Amino acid sequence: MSLALMVVGGLYALFAPEPQTAQAQDEPALVREGAKVYNNTCISCHGANLDGVEGRGPSLIGIGEAAVYFQTSTGRMPMVRQEAQAARKPAKLSPAEIDAVGAFVQSHGGGLESPKESGEALRGDNEARGGELFRLNCASCHNFTGKGGALSSGKYAPPLAQSSEKQIYAAMLSGPQNMPKFSDRQLSPEEKKDIVTYIKSVNDGNNNPGGLALGGWGPASEGLIGWVVGIGAIVGMTLWIGSRAGHE
Amino acid sequence: MSSDNEQQLPTEAELAEMDRDQLVTLGGKLDGVELVEYPDPWPVGGTRAEKRAERTVALWFTIAGVAGLAFLVAMIWWPWEYEPFQNSDGHFWYSLYTPVLGVTLGVSVLAFAIGTLVYTKKFIPHEVAVQQRNDNLGAGSDEVHRQTFAAHVADAGSRSTIARRSAIKRSAGLGIGMLGLGATILPLVGFIRNPHAESGTKDGLYHSGWQAEEPGQKVFVRRYTGKPHEIVLVRPEDLEAGSMETVFPFKESERGDSHALSAALKRVDNPVMLIRLRPDDAAKVVKRKGQENFNYGDFYAYTKICSHVGCPTSLFEQRTNRILCPCHQSQFDALHYAKPIFGPATRALAQLPITVDPETGYLIAKSDFIEPVGPGFWERKS
Repeated sequence: MSLALMVVGGLYALFAPEPQTAQAQDEPALVREGAKVYNNTCISCHGANLDGVEGRGPSLIGIGEAAVYFQTSTGRMPMVRQEAQAARKPAKLSPAEIDAVGAFVQSHGGGLESPKESGEALRGDNEARGGELFRLNCASCHNFTGKGGALSSGKYAPPLAQSSEKQIYAAMLSGPQNMPKFSDRQLSPEEKKDIVTYIKSVNDGNNNPGGLALGGWGPASEGLIGWVVGIGAIVGMTLWIGSRAGHE
Repeated sequence: MSSDNEQQLPTEAELAEMDRDQLVTLGGKLDGVELVEYPDPWPVGGTRAEKRAERTVALWFTIAGVAGLAFLVAMIWWPWEYEPFQNSDGHFWYSLYTPVLGVTLGVSVLAFAIGTLVYTKKFIPHEVAVQQRNDNLGAGSDEVHRQTFAAHVADAGSRSTIARRSAIKRSAGLGIGMLGLGATILPLVGFIRNPHAESGTKDGLYHSGWQAEEPGQKVFVRRYTGKPHEIVLVRPEDLEAGSMETVFPFKESERGDSHALSAALKRVDNPVMLIRLRPDDAAKVVKRKGQENFNYGDFYAYTKICSHVGCPTSLFEQRTNRILCPCHQSQFDALHYAKPIFGPATRALAQLPITVDPETGYLIAKSDFIEPVGPGFWERKS
């Protein structure tokens, strides 16, 4: 009898329509949690209704969870002060708080969500194509190996070595600060993953024969070191050649 | 050198009796050179120190040989082909390829040089030689030497009879002159060409690859996917507000022609920045006279080629709507028909008139640019 009950109950659980109440109960808990974090850390610049405060921060309605994930997980938000550009620093919010704020902002006007995967799962298998796309779409600002570069009026494109796969992916989706957005129709998820792989393949000590990247900016720093060390060695050798031999 | 030495020249019989040391001394004396110190570095043969010095030199030469052999082996057999970094073992060995070549060849050259120098320092006698100065204290040669030398030169000239052989003179002048002209022109010859002739169309620099090949041909907006032969066209909904994409022209005649498809991505005046402004920014746009209908809604297309010297100006700031050129820091305002607002550029970036093809829904160019893209050239008036 109890077996039959279990079977019936199991079948019911399987075939019954998706219980909407369960999700609705689950989501608001996270959103409520996110509202708490928001009211503590974000509200002074982005306003009580997420519609922004003139001269302090932009509206967050419709920016989506991907933007929140990128800005808070890289420590750019909350910002210390108003300046040309928010710099990367250790994250102030915990991962749980980031999830909560993300859900809270997502509940206001929707927007793009960051990928569900993270880490190695966000790496594609064609870094050659990733490199081609990186040079076409990203390298003009971020340098050909992602070392970053200057923009106008004190702004800059940051170096990418410290960024995790998910942060790079979320940045491409959400276009943080002055970075253009790259929708999934412009750069497909596979292409984005290939770009992530390329960035990883030329950073963190990869593709660095000799072990000393000298900033990775190319000929300027390499030439300077080559000149200083090379001329030093030549002067040293010349002095040795010119010195008189002593007898032991 | 001086007449004193000439008087002391030995007779033939004396010369036959001289040994090598005496000959060396005599040779020095004839040149006014005297060896005041000429020590044998190892006066007592076969000492331990001498043997150690010999071994040191031999060791350096051996190191040079071994390193040279290692270089040879690495050059031929080392795994030089790129290994993805995920394959950490293979990538490690691959990444050592250039350092190994450099270290082995460098050590080989350096060890050979050190060996040679050590040999010179240890085994070649370090003599101290004194030579009489013979420069007349700057007074120059005697009058007799000057006049005889001048006469010698003049005599050689007149005996060559070149002065009265005008045919040879002229032809030699022609040969040398043309040779000199050729050497002068060598670095300049790269500039002698017609840039108009190298462009795909008859109008040369005045038109880009966005020009239709025949009237009525549609020129589509194409995306580069990293595969040069893939044709992916752009729809307006592909771009988010606040995004920029580098796009290239596509004509139906190129379909299936892998060379033409690849060439369209590489032609220098083809890259165009397709920008979708954010709606609140789009409301602030100031359009240029005569270009009022060049945009499609929030979509604006500007050439990527800087009007200063032709660098790719693809640093687009989507908040400030500035377009930056990385070469000389020119800045263009995307809300103001891409006119220059900072830096050395003086002309606005050329704007490509775009619209959506009603039949296919893809973005197309309504026509070519209405002005030449990129830097100025001789015939250009503006």
